[in-house]
Order: sequence, then structure tokens, then C-alpha cells
Amino acid sequence: MESDELLINMGPVHPSTHGVLRFKLRMDGESIRECTPVLGHLHRGTEKIGEMKTYLQFIPYTDRLDYISAFPNNYAFVKAVEELAGIEVPLRAEYIRVLTMELNRIVNHLVSIGSLLMDLGAATMIMWGFRERENALQLFEMLCGARMTFNYIKPGGVREDIPDGFMPKLNEFLKDMEKRIDDYEQLINGNEIFHMRMKNIGVISAKDAVNYGWTGPTLRGSGVDYDLRKYEPYSIYPDLDFKVCVRNEGDSFARFIVRMDEMRESLHILRQVVDNMPASKEISSAKYGIAPMTGTPTAVSSYFPRIFTPPPGEVYSRIEAPKGELGFYVVSDGTTKPYRVKIRSPSFCNLTAIPSLVTGLKIPDLIAAFGTIDVVLGDVDR
Amino acid sequence: MNAAEELKNLLPGSVVSTGLQLNKPMAVIKKEELLKAAGKAKEMGFDHLSVITGIDYKDHFEVIYNFFSYNKKQNLALKVNLDHDKPEVESLTGLWNGADWLERETFDLVGIKFIGHPNLVRILLPDGWNGHPLRKDYDMNTEQFVTIGENGDDVVSTDGTNLLRRK
Repeated sequence: MESDELLINMGPVHPSTHGVLRFKLRMDGESIRECTPVLGHLHRGTEKIGEMKTYLQFIPYTDRLDYISAFPNNYAFVKAVEELAGIEVPLRAEYIRVLTMELNRIVNHLVSIGSLLMDLGAATMIMWGFRERENALQLFEMLCGARMTFNYIKPGGVREDIPDGFMPKLNEFLKDMEKRIDDYEQLINGNEIFHMRMKNIGVISAKDAVNYGWTGPTLRGSGVDYDLRKYEPYSIYPDLDFKVCVRNEGDSFARFIVRMDEMRESLHILRQVVDNMPASKEISSAKYGIAPMTGTPTAVSSYFPRIFTPPPGEVYSRIEAPKGELGFYVVSDGTTKPYRVKIRSPSFCNLTAIPSLVTGLKIPDLIAAFGTIDVVLGDVDR
Repeated sequence: MNAAEELKNLLPGSVVSTGLQLNKPMAVIKKEELLKAAGKAKEMGFDHLSVITGIDYKDHFEVIYNFFSYNKKQNLALKVNLDHDKPEVESLTGLWNGADWLERETFDLVGIKFIGHPNLVRILLPDGWNGHPLRKDYDMNTEQFVTIGENGDDVVSTDGTNLLRRK
């Protein structure tokens, strides 16, 4: 049956667009004929700011890209700078970095799953997810004084050492979280309505997913066994035991299950990090780092050289952020400021596929498929 | 032999030089031959187009393509040098769907034209924006304001006197 074409504008202010994203939808009755995302509502010119700030000054701006998981953003930029300048990092600092990043991965997946379920009409999961997230945010606050935008990882190490009382609280969190994930699975995984909303929705084959430049849990949901932590290891990941979570179905449900499994793997990694944390108090490199706390807060930042100039060169450095491959292309011309900073954000590249993913589906399916891609608009628009 | 040298052996006429991008093999490609070289790289197994970076060096532009192979677990970077007066290069959208938005972003912010791109319009900034912000000669002192026009499209102007702004 032929019906008139209808134009629908979804967003930019719509709860299930996870920020300020606008979809222009051409509808044929109830099914989507064409979906055009309109980006840029949150564009702040972060790459241009990068050219105008020194290397150290730019780190706080990276926090504001993917603000749900800011530690990996810090680390990705710092890793690029460290590769450019050839800075060695002490083992304890690397352990602390991995600890923060894996905690952040759990936080990210909790928010992702919670908001996905809320978009589908189940409000319980976001309450539960935010309850556990709060505990993790309190840990972050103990560590660096901030809950979401940390500015904690610096070239050569981390800003401050782990405070007293942090480890017992972390152990409590890990013990608690194990049980909580069981609860989530009991709540969601067997739910028939959830299955009907998620299975065979937004299906993408492994070949197409690679062709669209998908990375992270979205790619692993399509059956590509790939994780940068495993296959292009950085930091201390070669020493850690964890498995790459893969599902072969390629639909929204598979991407959801991959995130659930990854939370368990992150807990497993965190337990190893806690057990093997080096006892030395060295948290930054002797040449470039920040000296350990000596009592006066001003002593902390003053040890990093005011004039820091990496040798001329260019580097593309990437890590496995919770949302996928996060890369920084940094060009140094030997001055105190980068000549060019290019951010390869996972949200932007994963979003490329959404028009082809939802064509022919209905609007509620768009919300389900979009929710499992898990984008943050600060990361898309930069 | 690294991947860049391998590519040079396969296409000696297209590759100008090979080297390293810090620790990843990189090949500099003649700008007319980019599509051919990228197609050959895809045949060699480099199936993941990671990022496209455009850089303004004042006298010329560089566009860098970072690839990765999921089977071989190897990296490869291709670089082309473009004239500053005529920054044009062939589009890779025929080979990688993911190149679509990456090229639009490079066009938007750096102002490089990708020949053969199906929909080369601005992506992050609104249509009608003056200049490309990541060029080194971009005018940072002229403020530009975006309002919504009659039909819902963005309207860019340099006149901010009518806007509701806090004094």
C-alpha cells in the first residue's frame, strides 16, 4: 500500500539521542525510508584549541570529549605525547592508569546499558546503574578530586598517588559489583519484551562493520575478535589475563551482551591490578613527571618542566576506549604547542553506519539500534 | 620488509618514498595515484580505515590515511602531498563506507576537496560558514553567528547585533 511521505524531525533535544543529535527522518507510513543525522550542535573546535594550548594545557580539554569516560581520553592523548617525546613511565603509574581506565569502562557500560533500557521504557536499570556508578565516582573523587572531568593522567605518570583508604573501598566495590551484574542479568537478559525489541534489530555483518570503520563493543558484537588491548597491547595489558568478549549475531542484542560480558572482564582485570600493584611510591618519571606529594599542594605541578618541547615528528596513537578505538594524531614542530591535533573519536566513526542500519525499520527500532551503538555527543562533535 | 615497502614493490610507479610514522610503516603516494594505491592496500588485507587527517603546512597540504589489517595485525599509513592552491584528492568512499564522514569532516575543517565523494558538504559546522577553521590562515577575529532561518535551515552571518545576548 502506498502512503504519503512524512518528514519527521527527531532531536536535537530528545532524551534518547543521548545529547544534542538531530535525525531528519523521511517516513513511509511507520517505517523509516531515509535517516540523516545532523551533527555539530556541540562542536567546540577542540582540535583548533589543541593548536593554541601547550601539551599540558590541552589535557583538561580531552576530558570533555567523551565525558562519561574521561580517563581513557586523558590517557590516549598522553600516550601520543609520550610516544613523541620518548618518555618512560614507572610501573606503578601504569598500574594506576589501568585501574582508572577499567573502572571507567564499567561506569561507561553502566550508563550505556542504563540509558538504553530507559529509552526502551524500563526505568529500573538506570536507577541501579547510577547507584553503582555513584560508588565508582566517589572512588574517582578520592583519587583526584573530580567526579567526571579528571585531568589526572599526565605525561610521565599520574598526578597524585592513591590515597589512604582507597584500596579497601575499591575492594568493597569489586565484591559488590560481581553480585550486581548477576542482578542485572536476572533483570534484563530473560525479559521477553527486551528480547523482542533487541533481537534481529539493526543487524550488521562483520564485513560491513569493518567497512564502516566500527570499533569496540559494536564491532565485537558482529563477530570480529578484535581488541586493541589484546592485539596491539599498550601499558601493562600484556601482563594481564583477560579474554575478548565476542558475539556473532551482529544485532542490537549481541552488542548489549558484549557490554555485559566486558564489565565482568574489567572486574577480573581490576582484581589482578589490585593484587599486583607495585609497592614503590614512584608515580611519575624522573625527568618529566610530577614529583610525589610532599605535603604542599603547590609542589605537585611545579615539577613538570614549564617549557616542554617534544622533538619534531608525528604520531598516530590509539587505545581501546570503552566505546571503541580512540586515537590522537599529534604533529609536533618542536615548539611548546602541538602543530596539529587530530582526534579519531569512536562515537563519530561508529555513528557513520546508523543510516544504513535503520533504513526500513520503525522509529522505536532506531532508538534501540542507536542505544546499542553507545555514542556521546561530546565525542561525536568535538 | 614492512607493509610500506611491500606496497612500493607492487606499485613502484605510485609510491614516491617509504618511511616510518614514528613506529608505523608509511608510504608517500603520488596524489593522482591514491585511489589505486589504497585499492592495492585493501587487497593486501588492510581492511580497516582508521582515520583521515588533513594538515595545513602553509605551503602545501598533507592528507594522511591510517590503515590497519585485522588479519595480519599490521599498521600502514599512506600520505599524499597536495598543492596549497588546489587541495584536491580522490575520494575513498567507493572502497570504505567509513571514509564518507571522515572525508566530510576533513573538507569541513581543513578544506580539502575529495573528488568523487557523493555528498561533500559540511558536517560539523553549518552550511554557509566562512573559512575552514583548521587552516593556519583562518581568521579567528571575525565572529560568526548562527540563527535559524524561515525554513528551519541554519543562517550564518557576521552581524551579531540582533541576537539576544547578555551584555
